[in-house]
Amino acid sequence: MSVTDVNQPRETISRRPEASKIPPWAWDAWRIVSSVAVTLLGLLALTFFIGRMLPIDPVIAIVGEQADASTYDMVYKQLGLDKPLYVQFLYFMGDMLRGEFGNALFTGNKVSADLMRVFPATIELATIAITIGVFVGIPIGVLAAVYRGSPIDHFARIIGLLGYSVPTFWSGLMGLVLFYAILGWVGGPGRLDVFYIDIVDRVTGLLLVDALIAGEWEVFQNAVSHIVLPASILSFNAIAFISRLTRSFMLAQLSQEYILAARVKGLSKWKVIRKHAFRNIAVQLLTIVALAYAILLEGAVVTETVFAWPGFGRYLVSGLLAGDMNAVLACVLIVGIIFVSINLICDLLYRILDPRTK
Amino acid sequence: MRRLLAPSLILAATLAAASAQAATPKDALVMAWNLDALITLDPAQIAEVNGNDIMRNVCSRLVRFNIADPSKLEPEIAESWSSSEDGLTLTFKLRKDIKFPSGKAATAHDAVWSLKRAIHLNFGNAANLTEWGFTSAKADEQIRAVDDHTIEVKLPQPYPTGLIVSAAFTSNVSSVLNKETGEKNAKTTDGRSDYGNGWFKTQSDCVGPYKVRTWNANDVLILEANDIYFGEKPGLRRVLIRHVPESGAQRLQLEKGDIDVGRLLSSDDLKALATNKDIHIEQTVMHGYSYFAFNAQDPILSNPKVRLAFRYLVDYEGLERTVMAYQGKARNSLVPIGAFGALDEKAGLPFKLDLDMAKKLLTEAGYPNGFTKKYILSANAFNPAVAQHVQANAAKVGIKLELEQMADANLFTKMRAREFEIGQIGWGAGYPDAHSMVSRHAQNPDNRPEAKLAQYPTWRSAWVDPKVNDMAAKAMMERNDAKRIAAYHELQKYMLENGPMAYMFQTVRPIAIRKEVKGFQIGAFEVRYRSASK
Repeated sequence: MSVTDVNQPRETISRRPEASKIPPWAWDAWRIVSSVAVTLLGLLALTFFIGRMLPIDPVIAIVGEQADASTYDMVYKQLGLDKPLYVQFLYFMGDMLRGEFGNALFTGNKVSADLMRVFPATIELATIAITIGVFVGIPIGVLAAVYRGSPIDHFARIIGLLGYSVPTFWSGLMGLVLFYAILGWVGGPGRLDVFYIDIVDRVTGLLLVDALIAGEWEVFQNAVSHIVLPASILSFNAIAFISRLTRSFMLAQLSQEYILAARVKGLSKWKVIRKHAFRNIAVQLLTIVALAYAILLEGAVVTETVFAWPGFGRYLVSGLLAGDMNAVLACVLIVGIIFVSINLICDLLYRILDPRTK
Repeated sequence: MRRLLAPSLILAATLAAASAQAATPKDALVMAWNLDALITLDPAQIAEVNGNDIMRNVCSRLVRFNIADPSKLEPEIAESWSSSEDGLTLTFKLRKDIKFPSGKAATAHDAVWSLKRAIHLNFGNAANLTEWGFTSAKADEQIRAVDDHTIEVKLPQPYPTGLIVSAAFTSNVSSVLNKETGEKNAKTTDGRSDYGNGWFKTQSDCVGPYKVRTWNANDVLILEANDIYFGEKPGLRRVLIRHVPESGAQRLQLEKGDIDVGRLLSSDDLKALATNKDIHIEQTVMHGYSYFAFNAQDPILSNPKVRLAFRYLVDYEGLERTVMAYQGKARNSLVPIGAFGALDEKAGLPFKLDLDMAKKLLTEAGYPNGFTKKYILSANAFNPAVAQHVQANAAKVGIKLELEQMADANLFTKMRAREFEIGQIGWGAGYPDAHSMVSRHAQNPDNRPEAKLAQYPTWRSAWVDPKVNDMAAKAMMERNDAKRIAAYHELQKYMLENGPMAYMFQTVRPIAIRKEVKGFQIGAFEVRYRSASK
């Protein structure tokens, strides 16, 4: 069951053999672990073999375009590229199981160290973006459904249209021109102004959190001023996505007879919407918000490029363009883990929010 | 709603307070650049522009080029050098006041270890030594420390002194690294030492005006002044190089004063910045080229008349004014202006857009109705616009060019494997002597596919001409400067008519600098950060 199945009733507990002595929690745990392992293994195998077929040569990235054949051959062997593909894959899996992703060719660092640096930057950006997306998108969607056909509904449609169709590259640059260059309301590209780089010790990698831990209020302020614009630009698409689907879920609920019955009983319009209609779309909303968050956590390459944000998306694409499979595979694994984790969290939350799944 | 009011006010106050900050620190030089290609700080391994530019400010070389006139050499770590009468021994006398940032004295033993490690590691940069006959097996005999301040180099052949010093001892491999650090951090795999490459990839310990303080790949690199540097003291304590891959964002930061120097700006952004009185654009003609190469394995492209016809399909000066504004200077000869032995500007640009001439040459070659060829190129910067220009003109003489854009890494792979028909690419000379280009773009020691001489663009083009090999070898060994220049002139004229590459533009490097920055010295082979002040 994936987070994309927004309209289907969910069957969260698969059947275990009758008369089995295995306790239910162990059966559930086994089911989850085996399914996650198979998913991640399949993902890695697919990425590994596709990656090896790309017409990009990682050796060139290391030795340089002007290197001679002996240099090239030396590094080719060092990278193990002279071995059969399945042997390379087995070595790679062995490293992965030991938690060793190897060195990233295009940064010279251990991939794990790079990920510890770039992933928090993306988590910070994506979390703020999804927060904006939820707090703006859901109210817009609800209002558009309640006042269907009204100017509010038309406004929601325009927001949706713009959110889906305006290229992030353009909106990012225009945002910078207006809010950074002309109005001076926000900081420019990067996570901090140069004055504040290297002031705060790295604890979590989340700059806002680290600044607060260090008690550096000025650094915190500066970090906020740098993140607010890219997060807002990034949230635009999430707002469109969330508001459109919220509207559609809400309309489906508002046409149900139980809504009419509640109104006949004398409940106020907004109480019916809040207590009955909205509660019934909560599970579906949870699914789409989780999906939107997972997509944001994958990294937004264009936003990260325009705003010089040292995040996960740019890291993945740089690795891909350099043919750096160590970095790419580690990133794919992370993306896989994000989706699997969000799926699991959703499964758990469904049980809380929807009594029918218990 | 009231619950939302408080956080909103806090956010507004935060933004207002933070956005009041302006300009860059008084004691720092802040540059924005695209650092995507920067993958190592090890001088023995650096193979791209950013790393070379940065590490020239971190690791001084034995000898350096004069910044204004690179054809002249100046002492740096070596205070003098001399050649024996037979031309087979070079002796470098090192300064006695050179120290690593830790305070430890640097000696000839460190310098010799650094040179030999480059040969043993055998990365692309090793060619700066190995192509002159230095080998891993003989390195101990060929390069040795006579005492703490003297290096003796035994040359396999009596090369002209200026040429060998310029080619080998001004390059990255002549940086003096701390032998102790290298040996302490060396790792051995399959019996082969990395000579500390794993450590030097991300850190520095060498003699130079700056030291690397922080490098977060694809984010920021921070240099800090080395207080015990022997030479001119850095005018600014720190250099911060921020990774800003988007030209438009770089321009906004420069206009706003959040950076001092913009290193990678598009022609459009540079044109806009040129009208800003707070910003100055410095243009430096580099020793590199943008060109397209023909694969002579193709029966049509192996015909010199066909290749010559292509040279008449480009409006060099028109493109220089438009697409290549701030990016390139029209030039057809393979030796760049500014290098020893280069043809002058007029003789180096004999071609112009002439469709009638192109058609005539194609007819003489036996292709009056043209043909179809694949033309591969990088998707970056000006390349697509230039390729489309060539394509449009080629169509007018009956040649159909099918353009295929790709990532640089893909382009390099295809061209190195001879898997192309026509390829548009760039190349940078390593030193300002005609031999730098001639040795790669005219000579081809072995054209057999199994020779795999992919470092030679001539080999990639499967093109060899024994006459050119002979001319190049003689020119290189000529010890009389006037005769050497004449030999290179003759060779360039021959290559203009017959060579496998059609050179279009000598690369121009534009750097946009805010007026607060004074004394920033920029040369074709070095950008001297330490000379900048505010």
